[in-house]
Amino acid sequence: MSTQSLQVMNSDTSSLATLAPTRAGKYLTFYLAGEEYGLEILKVSEIIGLQPITRVPRMPEFVRGVINLRGKVIPITDLRMKFGMGAEDSEDSCIIVVQMRGIQTGIVVDRVSEVVAIAEADIEDAPSFGSGIRTEFLLGIGKAGGRVKLLLDIDKVLATAEIAALQDAQAHAD
Amino acid sequence: MSPLNLDDAATLLMQLEATDTADLAVLRDALTDLAFENRVPLRAQPHVARAARVLGSVVNGTAADVSAAFAEVGQAIEAAMKASEGQVVEVGADPVAHAMSETVGGATAIAVASGATPSLTLALVDEVPPTPVVVATAAVATPALETSAVVPPVAAAPAVARNRQEDRLPDDADRDLLPDFLTESNECITNSEAALLQLEANPSDEEAVNTVFRAFHTVKGTSAFLGLTRIAEFAHEAESLLSRVRDKEIAYTRGCADLSLRSADMLKALLMVVEKALNGDGRMPIPEGFFELLDALAGYDPARDADGVQLAVSSGSDDIFPTLTDGADDAGALSGPVSGIAVARKPEAPVAQSANNASTGNSGSNADATIRVRTDRLDRLIDMVGELVIAQSMIAGDDTFGSGTQHELLRKVTHAGKIVRELQDLSMSMRMVPLRPTFQKLARVVRDTATKAGKTVQFVTDGDEVEIDRTMVDRLGDPLVHMVRNAVDHGVEPPAERTANGKPGLGVVRLHAYHASGNVVVELVDDGRGLHRDKIVKKAIEKGLIETDKGMTDSEVFNLIFAPGFSTAEKITDISGRGVGMDVVRRNLEAIRGRIDITSAPGKGTTFSIRLPLTLAVTDGMLVRVGDERFIIPLTHIHMSFRPEPSMLSTVVGKGEMVHLRGELMPILRLHRLFDVANAVQNPLDGLLMIVGDGAKRTALLVDELLGQQQVVAKTLGDGLGKVAGVSGGAILGDGRVGLILDVNETVALAQSTDCSAPRHEREAA
Repeated sequence: MSTQSLQVMNSDTSSLATLAPTRAGKYLTFYLAGEEYGLEILKVSEIIGLQPITRVPRMPEFVRGVINLRGKVIPITDLRMKFGMGAEDSEDSCIIVVQMRGIQTGIVVDRVSEVVAIAEADIEDAPSFGSGIRTEFLLGIGKAGGRVKLLLDIDKVLATAEIAALQDAQAHAD
Repeated sequence: MSPLNLDDAATLLMQLEATDTADLAVLRDALTDLAFENRVPLRAQPHVARAARVLGSVVNGTAADVSAAFAEVGQAIEAAMKASEGQVVEVGADPVAHAMSETVGGATAIAVASGATPSLTLALVDEVPPTPVVVATAAVATPALETSAVVPPVAAAPAVARNRQEDRLPDDADRDLLPDFLTESNECITNSEAALLQLEANPSDEEAVNTVFRAFHTVKGTSAFLGLTRIAEFAHEAESLLSRVRDKEIAYTRGCADLSLRSADMLKALLMVVEKALNGDGRMPIPEGFFELLDALAGYDPARDADGVQLAVSSGSDDIFPTLTDGADDAGALSGPVSGIAVARKPEAPVAQSANNASTGNSGSNADATIRVRTDRLDRLIDMVGELVIAQSMIAGDDTFGSGTQHELLRKVTHAGKIVRELQDLSMSMRMVPLRPTFQKLARVVRDTATKAGKTVQFVTDGDEVEIDRTMVDRLGDPLVHMVRNAVDHGVEPPAERTANGKPGLGVVRLHAYHASGNVVVELVDDGRGLHRDKIVKKAIEKGLIETDKGMTDSEVFNLIFAPGFSTAEKITDISGRGVGMDVVRRNLEAIRGRIDITSAPGKGTTFSIRLPLTLAVTDGMLVRVGDERFIIPLTHIHMSFRPEPSMLSTVVGKGEMVHLRGELMPILRLHRLFDVANAVQNPLDGLLMIVGDGAKRTALLVDELLGQQQVVAKTLGDGLGKVAGVSGGAILGDGRVGLILDVNETVALAQSTDCSAPRHEREAA
């Protein structure tokens, strides 16, 4: 437990550090339940089609399981489940493989959209309520091409996934 | 290349600008050579090395302040020149001999500094370079042959004034280079150890002397370059001793062998300290016994120690795991007054030797050119090859070929398949390393333990060319050391007892490795006392491990010594001693999926045979289906599986379902409930029961069907998930999907702690 929480703390400070200088940059945008989200392109290592996912027992629901990525086993998180939108795979659903702190992990999204460059001036801090998701996952809200994109801090999204998984496992162990 | 001296270097430095990178690089290399090649006195070497290092940072562009760096290089060269001044520079043909004479000069200064002749102190101390470490470098070199006129050995021995403070990792230490340095140096020392043992068996083996000499020399050079002066100084002393052997100045006697082996140990200890400092706070404490050993090395006198130095015969010590402190004690005894030293060891020198090594000589040392590869890259390669195999089998299994019209294509695909399979074999073999180094280390263990216990033991190895997985070598080492030590310490009788029993006085411990039906078997055979069945049984009953030995085979009885209770108890030397920490041995071996068996006959000896899988990467597993999902259960955990009859099933109130099989009552564990799997068989009569677990705690797992046995490559489930209860990892199955490998023990424990009388969703619905 202690090492795990330590990791989370580290991730917090590191993402704060990256957040401080600038949020401007290129973002990969994708759709989740009709809303458009953005993900820092530097964190994305590849996009693959949805494939059979092996369920891992006793994991929280948003952990879909694991897949084989060219010989490597990586965990898959379902963002819809994570954000409480209900699971729903479509033709366009795909897996974005992200690289965070050297760990590869995949997230399931409804549809990948495009890569956009967003300037710092076009990024606003997340409002404290009203966006339908918890704002601590957000780097900010970006405006590009006349649309609003919710810029995700993927480290935080997945770090909380880890905590939840851990708590779940512990609840079972007790 | 005309050798450059310090004056040239200083002149050159003044002519160069910071921008002349190429010339600066040449100068740096020249300085490095100077520091390595013994062309400057030892006391000047650290300065030269420092100059080279700082200059290197200028060349690489990593220097923060170029002009300051230049000034520092200048100072370092100046210091080096000062350090070498006033010496009798009679550059002999042999650079080492030269360095030796310089060391002697240093010794003079030290002896003076320690207060032997106060009147001279001021005059001479000025000549000692300012770095305190260097003072220690020159510490008391008193080979009687050369310096008796200058410093009487006895006066020098208890020298006190030297740098006994612990070091710190130099601030400018190159942290990127250090790990490589540690690996390389450790390798050098391991090689030198093997060569030293070889040398002991055959003192005229010049190649062995050279191997050791080169190893020490390399360690000395690189450590000086990296600013690790204490290691450099120690390696220098060790090297000097060997150089005297090489030059036939002294004979390689027992005493000399002891010292050299101890030096190798000390170097290992010093390297370990560096490693700790690198990972920790940079503090480098001095290993115990360092100064004593340094004195012993420097003051080694063949005439005095020819029959063997009094070392390591601390009889009555029950410590079978000698640590560094032993070295301290023994070497401490050495550095004492001369009168106490002349005690010779027993005349019948017990030679612990590897017959194999002795016969093959040193031909193997440079036979194979190797390249060091990072293991993660290797793992990645193996992953990719695994994927290639799956992709290939998918192509080969494509329906296109079913029609029978694509003969040409089928032929090509089959050909590609052959290549892929060969590639797979090759990639697996890249992780394999021979057992030779492991066995060589044990030769040392046998030698030391035998000496300590006053036994005469011949150590024979064969099959050391057998290869096993790299990751297993490390885990195998400790258990083997433990067992070999036990075999020598407890198994083999003292010579007198052996002759009384009509055995040859020389005991034999044999280590034998071979392949057998897809496994590697390592056998440790001794011809000692053997195990006493009755005594073990008595002890086991006392401990409550068994109630009676009725119906137990010898092998089962002997296996009792692995029980934890057997080892943590008071000393059990009364039953021929096996068992100290044997539970740890078994645990370590089980961690690498090894099995150990004992056969023994009283008075004849004991054989431990360890059966190991060829590689840890591959698990033999049974693929089972539970509902919509598949799991892999390691074969080692499965006892049997069967389709239950209605009469076998029963429910025990409060205890859940049980199955009755041949008089044994076992709980039924429904995997689908524990793991919440949909569409699984509900009635045990429709599925299969698989008996898993060990000893009295066996459990029956309910599964839908067996899909077949296969070898899988175990992988972690990705770091993002952390530890998953009940699952030990994942494996890529033939269809490219991931199958989960069940951790049977954990699953059973999980089931016992969880209420899984009904599936989770049913419980929630209720």
